[in-house]
Amino acid sequence: MLKDSELLGGTTPVVAIALVLLPVVLPSAALATEILIFALAALACNLLLGYGGLLSFGQGIFFGAGAYLASLAMIHAGAGFLTALATAALSGTLIAAVVGALAIRRTGIYFVMMTLAFNQTAYFIAYTLDEWTGGENGLLDVPRPPLALFGATLADLGSPMSYYVFVAVVFLLIFVATKRVIASPFGSTLIAIRDNEARADAVGYNTKHFKIVAFAVSGAITALAGALYAMLLNFAPLENIQMSENIVILTVIGGTGSLLGSLLGAGSWVIISDMFAEVWPRWLIVMGGALILVVLFLRGGIWGGIESLAERISSKKGKPG
Amino acid sequence: MKRREFLATGLAATSFLLAPALLRGALAAERPVTFYGVKSMSGAFASYGEFADKGSRLAIEEYGALLGAKPKYAIIDTESNPARAVRKVQEAIQQQGARFFGGCTLSSTALAVGKEVNKAEGIFMTPAGADEITTTEFNLSTFRWTVPTYGAIHQTVRPLFESNPKAKRWYTITPQYVFGEALLTAAKNLFAQLGIEHVGNSYHSQQEQEYSGYLTNAMAANPDVLLILGFGGNGASCLRQAANFGLKKKMTILLAWTQGLDWFQSLGPELLEDVYLGAQYWHQVQTPLNIELVKRVKKVYGINPNYPLAGDYVITRIVLDGIAKAGTTDGRAVGKAMEGMTYEGPTGTETVRAEDHQVIKDYYLLRGKAKSAMKDADDLAVLISSGKSFPEPAKRS
Repeated sequence: MLKDSELLGGTTPVVAIALVLLPVVLPSAALATEILIFALAALACNLLLGYGGLLSFGQGIFFGAGAYLASLAMIHAGAGFLTALATAALSGTLIAAVVGALAIRRTGIYFVMMTLAFNQTAYFIAYTLDEWTGGENGLLDVPRPPLALFGATLADLGSPMSYYVFVAVVFLLIFVATKRVIASPFGSTLIAIRDNEARADAVGYNTKHFKIVAFAVSGAITALAGALYAMLLNFAPLENIQMSENIVILTVIGGTGSLLGSLLGAGSWVIISDMFAEVWPRWLIVMGGALILVVLFLRGGIWGGIESLAERISSKKGKPG
Repeated sequence: MKRREFLATGLAATSFLLAPALLRGALAAERPVTFYGVKSMSGAFASYGEFADKGSRLAIEEYGALLGAKPKYAIIDTESNPARAVRKVQEAIQQQGARFFGGCTLSSTALAVGKEVNKAEGIFMTPAGADEITTTEFNLSTFRWTVPTYGAIHQTVRPLFESNPKAKRWYTITPQYVFGEALLTAAKNLFAQLGIEHVGNSYHSQQEQEYSGYLTNAMAANPDVLLILGFGGNGASCLRQAANFGLKKKMTILLAWTQGLDWFQSLGPELLEDVYLGAQYWHQVQTPLNIELVKRVKKVYGINPNYPLAGDYVITRIVLDGIAKAGTTDGRAVGKAMEGMTYEGPTGTETVRAEDHQVIKDYYLLRGKAKSAMKDADDLAVLISSGKSFPEPAKRS
C-alpha cells in the first residue's frame, strides 16, 4: 500500500496532485483553502491520536490561540505575514506543551476529560478577555498582509487563489515534515507508546517526554492552521475554540494513522456539508449517520476503506482465470 | 508504483474530487438581481433560520419586476457558525458576483458578514442585536432593522414605571457579555433619570442553567420589579425558575428583550401570564402592512408571522426597494438610496436613518395573557404600549 514512511514517494504525490486539482474542481479557491486548513488541524490531531494514541479534545485551544495571537500580532504590533504565522506556531507549541504536560498525568478517560476541561477553560478565558478577543462578537478586521521577507514583497496574498497557493505549499511542506517525524526514531517510539506504553516505559523510554513533544508539535501545526483560518476569513470567531470535536471527527472519518486520511476526512466533511447544506437543512443528520457508519464499518476511516477496496480488487485480478 | 497502490490512489482521488464537480452544476446561481438570504438553516439556531427564510422567500415571491426582471432568491446556510457563514459569503461574492444580502441571527455572524459585504461594496441588512453594527463597527454597506438595546429598555422600563410609579425598587439579572452589559447600562441610566432605586444586580454567564442563587439574592433585596435582561434560553430558564420560586406573585417581572411569538409559544400561557415582555414585533399590531402580512403568511404558510419571519421579510423588501429606487445594482448607489428611505413596515411607518443605517421603528411592551383570556393559540399577550426610542447616531469617522 501507499506508505507514509516514503518521504517524497508513497502518499506524497497523491497529496501534490490533489492540491493542484482542488481549486480546479471545487466551486471556489476559498472552499479549497478551508479544506486544507481543516486538513492541517486534522493532520496534527492524527499525530496525537493515530500515532500517539492520545485522544485530545483540546485541539480547539491551539487552533483558537493561533488565530487570536497571529491576529493580535498583526493588528497591535504591526507584524507581517510570516511573523504572525511564527507567533502562532510558537504560541501553539508552548500552550500545547503546558496542556500536554498536565493532561498526560492521567490516562484513558481521565486524560480525555482533562483535555476537555482545558478546552472549556480556554473558551471562558477568551470570552472574558473581550477587549482583546472581541468576546462573543469575535475579533474583526484581521488583515492578510502580503508575503514579505526582509522588507521585500514576495507575493500579494489578497486574491483567493494566491492565498490558496500559499496554504497549499504550507500544507505540502508540513505533510512531508510530519511524515519525516513519523518515520524518525521519535515517531517509532510514539507508535510503541501507543501500542503498549508499559512496555515502552520498561525498555527505558521516558514516555511522558515523548507525549509532551508530540503535543507540542501537534499544537504548533494546529495553531498555524488557526492563524491561516483567521487570515482567510479576516475574522477570528470565539467558536474556533469549540472546534476540538470537529477536528477529532475529521481525523476519525479520514482515518487515524494515515496522514492522507486527514486530507480525505477534512475534504469529504467540508464538501459534503457544503453540498448538503444547500439542499437539505437537516444535513447534520446525514453527517451523523456517516460518522456512525465509518466508526462501525470503516474502522480505518475513508482511507482504510479505500485501501481495503483496492486490496480486494487487486487480489481478484491477481487470481488465475 | 505497484498496481494496488495505483488503484488506491485512483479511487481516493476520484471519490474525493469528482463528487463536487458532479453536484456543482445543479447549484449554479442565477445572474439577474439575486438576493442572498444568509440564514442559520442548520445548527443551533436552525429554528430561527427556518422562519427567517420563509420571510425573505415571501418578500421575493410577491415582489414585482425589479430593473425589468423578477428578482431571485438564493440561500446561504450559516450552519449557525460565523466562520462558515463568512467563507460562504466570500464565495458567493467571488464566484457569483453576489452583492445583496440579508439575515444573520447571530451578532458575531452579522458583524463579520457586514465587513465582507462592505469590502465588495454590496448591501447587507440584518435583524441582529449587536449595537456595534450601527456604532463602532458602522460601515457603508450594513443596515440594521432591530431596535437597539437603548430603545428596548426605554420602551419597556419607562411605560411600565409610568403605569405604576410606586414600583420604585428594581432588581436586575444580567447575562455577563457585551449584549447584556449594553442592556444593563441603558437600564441604569434610565433608572437614574426616572428616580428608580436599583436595589441590586446579579450577573450570570451565557451558559448558565441554574438561577436559584440569583433569584434568592433578588428576593432578599425585596424589589418591586425584577428586570430580566437575558434572552432566548437564558431568559426562559430564568423566568421558569422565578415562577417556581413564586416570584410572579411577589413582584412584577419584566423581560426587556424577547424573541416574540415563537418563544412565547414554547413557554406557554401559564408561565407568561402577567409577565411583561419587550418585543421587536407582534403579529396583532394593526398597521396597514402588518394586517396584509398576517393575511399573506397565514395563506402561504398557515401560521401567524413571528419576529424572524417579519424581520427578514421587511429587510428583504427594503433592499429590493432600495435597488428599485437607485435604478441600478451598484451597491454604493443602492446604499445611498436606502439612506433616509421612509416606508410602511410591519411596525408602522419606518425610516432608515441616514447617519448610522439604523431603522427607526416601534418597540413593544406586551403582557402575558391568562389562558382563559386567549382568543386563539397565538393570542398569548396583550399590547400595552409601543414607541420609538433611539440614541443619537454616532458620528461617522
